[in-house]
Amino acid sequence: MRDFVLFGHVILGLSLIVFSIVILLYINKKAKWLKPLSIFTALISWAVLLPSGKLYLTFYPATKTVIKAGTWPWAHSIIMETKEHWGLLLPLIATTAAWLVVSGKNEESKRWWILLIILAALIGVMGRLVKIGALR
Amino acid sequence: MGKFNFYFGTAAGSLLLAAMVVIGELYAPFKELLASVFSHHWIGKLALMSAVFFVISFLYKNKNSIGKYSDENIAWYSVLASVIVIFVFYLAHYFA
Repeated sequence: MRDFVLFGHVILGLSLIVFSIVILLYINKKAKWLKPLSIFTALISWAVLLPSGKLYLTFYPATKTVIKAGTWPWAHSIIMETKEHWGLLLPLIATTAAWLVVSGKNEESKRWWILLIILAALIGVMGRLVKIGALR
Repeated sequence: MGKFNFYFGTAAGSLLLAAMVVIGELYAPFKELLASVFSHHWIGKLALMSAVFFVISFLYKNKNSIGKYSDENIAWYSVLASVIVIFVFYLAHYFA
C-alpha cells in the first residue's frame, strides 16, 4: 500500500514538471493540444494531493519520530514543514497557468509554468532530503 | 473558465496559507481548532485555502486591478511572498 501511494506521489509530481516543460516548449507554436494538456496538468496538481496526503497523514508520523530523534532533526522541522505547505500552493499555480492558456494569454502563463516547475522540483529534492534525514 | 479570475483567488489563497502557517505555529489553539474541525491541520489548511481560492476567483471575476496594482502582479507577488514567508518562518522557528 505504502509503495503504491509513494509511486503515485512521485509519478504525479514528476508529470507536473514534464508536462509544464512540454507546454513551455510548444506555447508559442499554438498547438491544438495545448489547452487540454494545460487543464490536465492543473487537474494533476490537485490529484497529487491525494497520495501526498495519504503519505503525510498515515505513513509519515513514524518517519517523523525517527528524524527528530536522529542527527538531522531540521530535516523535519524546516524541510518537511516547508515542503508540506509549499505543496499546497502547486494547485493554485497550475490552475492559474492553465486558466491563462485557456484564455489565450499564453505569454502571461509562461512565468507561472516556470514557477510550477521550480517549486515542484524543489519539493522533490526536499523529499529526498527528508528521506536521507530518516537514515541519519 | 471565463467565470473566474484566478489571479485574485491565487493571491488570496496563498496569503491565507502563509497566515495560517504562522498563526498555527505561534498560537497552538488555532492549529488544534483546524485539527478538530478537519481531522488534521494540513487538511484544514487545504480546505480553507481551496474554498477561498475558488470563491474569491468567482467573486472578483470582473475585476482586473486593485488601485494601481494589476491582478497579475498581485497574484505573482502574493505567491512569491507566501513561498518565502513559509520557508523563512520555519527556518527562524527552528533556530529560535
